[in-house]
Amino acid sequence: MVVAIEPEEKAEHPIELVLARLLRLGSLVAAALLAVGIALMVLGHTGLAPKLITAGLLVLLGTPVLRVVAAAVIFVKERDWHFALFSFVVLCAVAAGIYFGKGM
Amino acid sequence: MVITFITIFAIGIAAGVVGAILGLGGGIIIVPALTLGFGMPMRTAVAASTVCIIATSTGAAVAFLRDRLTNTRVAIWLEMGTSTGALTGALVAAMVNQRVLFILFGLLLAYSAYNMFRTRKEHSRPEVVPDAISRTLKLGGSYYDKALGRRVEYQVTRTLPGLIIMYFSGAAAGLLGIGAGIFKVPAMDQVMGMPFKASSATSNFMIGVTAASGAVVYFARGDVKPLVAGPVVLGVLLGAILGARLMMRMPASKIRLFFMPILAYTAIEMIYKGVKWW
Repeated sequence: MVVAIEPEEKAEHPIELVLARLLRLGSLVAAALLAVGIALMVLGHTGLAPKLITAGLLVLLGTPVLRVVAAAVIFVKERDWHFALFSFVVLCAVAAGIYFGKGM
Repeated sequence: MVITFITIFAIGIAAGVVGAILGLGGGIIIVPALTLGFGMPMRTAVAASTVCIIATSTGAAVAFLRDRLTNTRVAIWLEMGTSTGALTGALVAAMVNQRVLFILFGLLLAYSAYNMFRTRKEHSRPEVVPDAISRTLKLGGSYYDKALGRRVEYQVTRTLPGLIIMYFSGAAAGLLGIGAGIFKVPAMDQVMGMPFKASSATSNFMIGVTAASGAVVYFARGDVKPLVAGPVVLGVLLGAILGARLMMRMPASKIRLFFMPILAYTAIEMIYKGVKWW
């Protein structure tokens, strides 16, 4: 059963749909890279396969971070300054984690 | 070789389904399966599991976002806690006595499991009165419950205690290399008064960001082995998409029934680890 979404609600909160589209794109690209990599691996192409799989894993890794960036952009556009600030705090913490993480 | 690939892929699918339904990353299944079942080193298993957490979060989030089960405003508010917590966790990982942490987390989980058991039969909950922050930030929401066949409106309360718990759940994630959904769901469901399904979907949405910062470290160290992580992650991705669809049609009381033994098991496991190393 498909539930229809009321149009006025759609106009009020487009953020869910934008983020859903972004996450779907990220997971589809990652899944495609992984599937091709694994298929090549099974067929015995041991040179290219691990590279494709690693690329797929990296796309997957970047998707949630891009999701926060997209949310920040949407909140700034909507002049929702509270939430724009919150997204910025999250991004700073993730960036600091990457910076410190590399050094460990 | 091909058989091993297929088995790992199947484990991934199972972990993805369970993870998506319960709002967890599925690490609880993947780590024991890879270490005990395939004799893989712990580091390889934890690294693969961390990437799987991102896969569950991303795969399931699409369906939950479309069906408006995810509360994105609550998610962004609480992510401030989880991401700064994860940062702290990663930084102090070397200094903190892990035994104490294990026991503390175990006790917290046991308490959550007890709370969930106690409230298992409450179909209609006491009215949730939003606090000042929740009103200002308009954190309340609504979603269409396919199992109930009606729209569920809800309010959010205890916003600040929720944020503080998220900070500690983020710290646990950073320390232990997990998504810590097992702390996030009870924090929203039990403390902030959100419906279980909205809590689970929002937790799923949030854990990807926490896990991504942890996964970078594993990638940099070379712990992510493509031949192990590839099949399991692809499985989790597909399982999560399937699990998210299942979850929206399941009654919340049944999902809670699933969740309690997992909480109890993890609690015992954590306390045991802590006591064993004393």
